Amino acid sequence: MNTAFWLITACLLMLVGMIWLALAKPVHWKQVLGAQANYGRHPVKALQRAGAISLLLSALACLAADHPSMAVLVWIMLLALSTFITAMILSWRPHWLQPLITVRRLTQS
Amino acid sequence: MEFASPRHAMTWLHTWLGLIFGFVLMVCFFFGALSVFDREIDRWAIPETRFDPQPMPSFDQVLLPAYQRMQPDQAEYDRMMPLYHDPAAGPMTPRNELPVDEYWAYTTHRDPVLQIGVGFRVPHPLESVGHNHIHANTTIDPRTGDEVPNSALKIGSDWFYPLHYSLNLEWNSVGYYIVGLAAFFMLVALVSGIWMHRKLFRELFTFRPWKSRLRSILDLHNLTGVVALPFHFFFALTGLIIFASTFYMPVSDTLLKPLHEQQEALEASQNGLPHERSGIPAPLASVDAMVLEAKRLWAERGMAGEVGFLMVSHVGDANSFVSIYRAGSDRVALVGEAIHFRGSDGSLLLQELDHPAVESANEFLTGLHLQHFEHWSLRWLYLFGGLLGCACIATGFLFFIEKRKFQHAREGQFGSRLVEACALACVTGLLLATLAMLVANRLLPEGDQRADWQKWIFCGAWLASLLHGFVRANTHNAARASAAWYEQVWLISILAALAVLTNAITTGDHLLRTLLLEPYMAVAGVDLVLLVCALGATLTARYLQRRHEQACQRVLPSQPASALLDGGAA
Repeated sequence: MNTAFWLITACLLMLVGMIWLALAKPVHWKQVLGAQANYGRHPVKALQRAGAISLLLSALACLAADHPSMAVLVWIMLLALSTFITAMILSWRPHWLQPLITVRRLTQS
Repeated sequence: MEFASPRHAMTWLHTWLGLIFGFVLMVCFFFGALSVFDREIDRWAIPETRFDPQPMPSFDQVLLPAYQRMQPDQAEYDRMMPLYHDPAAGPMTPRNELPVDEYWAYTTHRDPVLQIGVGFRVPHPLESVGHNHIHANTTIDPRTGDEVPNSALKIGSDWFYPLHYSLNLEWNSVGYYIVGLAAFFMLVALVSGIWMHRKLFRELFTFRPWKSRLRSILDLHNLTGVVALPFHFFFALTGLIIFASTFYMPVSDTLLKPLHEQQEALEASQNGLPHERSGIPAPLASVDAMVLEAKRLWAERGMAGEVGFLMVSHVGDANSFVSIYRAGSDRVALVGEAIHFRGSDGSLLLQELDHPAVESANEFLTGLHLQHFEHWSLRWLYLFGGLLGCACIATGFLFFIEKRKFQHAREGQFGSRLVEACALACVTGLLLATLAMLVANRLLPEGDQRADWQKWIFCGAWLASLLHGFVRANTHNAARASAAWYEQVWLISILAALAVLTNAITTGDHLLRTLLLEPYMAVAGVDLVLLVCALGATLTARYLQRRHEQACQRVLPSQPASALLDGGAA
């Protein structure tokens, strides 16, 4: 597999992971679901676990793409980029994140 | 001074250190971020060098004739020769008769042109040990060996890049010390910022633009500071490490100088690389043959690569040796895997296989800051990190102003307006100066003074931005920001578009050509970023102007800043 594929994979895994970690926080859960947040359970642990695994997989994708010394830098910088993007989506377009919660709910049901 | 709690002390420290050194740090972060693409900005600024990156050229055919044409730098000779020369040993050797002692050449995967240099020996030195060299540095076209004219200023690597670590203040290296102090206090500001934040993880993703202005500015300040915290921390730290031994803690050149020289001599005797000239003349064997052998040895070790750095020491002497370093394009360290050959016959002297842990750590830390590796995604991520740093500092300024402006207006103090004018010069002013320089680069006629004029225009535009900030500062209505913000942003928008236009007109390298017809991404990239800047500035200027006009119609609110922070007026 080529470097570009692994880098894009790392980027997407990191973004999804950060979004799940953000959704594990009640304030952001409510931001995304609005009034629906009052119905049903908030799967905090599941979201945290999914987020952590996604970040770990992202690190592995970085290692698949580059020399380990470079992969560390890419991973740390992707962490910054993904956190910033997540914060911006939560601020301006929180409803965009509803599909990710749906995926979690489907996997739980 | 007494504080109610450690947190209050940290808040005081963070506020005032951030304010005082924030102006310097803004310059460091902004031009540091631009330096990520310094070579690409050079290509944009010097159209004659718009060709593909070249590998290290033949030493025997191209470099040696170029070195032989070079003369010691006149200014350095005038400044340093009286310090190096021992008058008791004889008259001072004229500049163009100084004998050559070393050659070097350095290139990266992004360089179409090549930086080379010669070190000239002082025949009667005051101190026999130490680095008594008068230098000559230049840039050549590696395809022909022809010198790139001095009037062609490398705006990226010779202006923006040194600006971020020395402020281009060469007098007594004062700029290096100012930046070093700012970097150190940035580390303090980061630690104090974390201490006072308290909700670092709970509010990691928090930005609430719908809340009060003060609250949303603070959110953005925290967000941009925290998400790139490792980047901010490591870049301040590695910036200090890079210059620590030269400027900030030069013990090897002061207190421990005798020990340092003993250690150098000991290392030379252990590794077989002659420390001193022998005094016996000897010609230089073919360096091209040594380069071929070095490449073969790298390939044998499973790390085939190109030459990044090449150096010939003790030129013309029997103790001469040639050091060939592999370009670190595929890893973080700048160069590595050095192989040394005897200069007179080309025999192998030493292969550096493993470095001590401390040296490897130092190479990694400096390499991650200087980023000469071939990794375009990481390069863009670095640019993003640098701009986050700028946003963090800028929002820090805005928070300082917003928090105090009503109180200052009521009490007739000028403090927040003074900070606003300085912040203008450090936020929009930096962009204006940069863009004015790029436009001047495309419009100024050819001539010896062209490089100087570009520098003066940069400084003039920056100063004009500061003066404009002072002139437009309003002390009578604290509810509105200075009109200078949107006026300068409008100018940024115009200059960014003008830079793209002048590049297309004066060189013919419009985006259609550099993107599609004859792709040349270095120039296309700079043009595209300029266009994005123009578009972003237009939208921002319209927003700021609208808000300013609305604020002009409002009455000065009477509530204190703390009420606004808790979610009061917008």
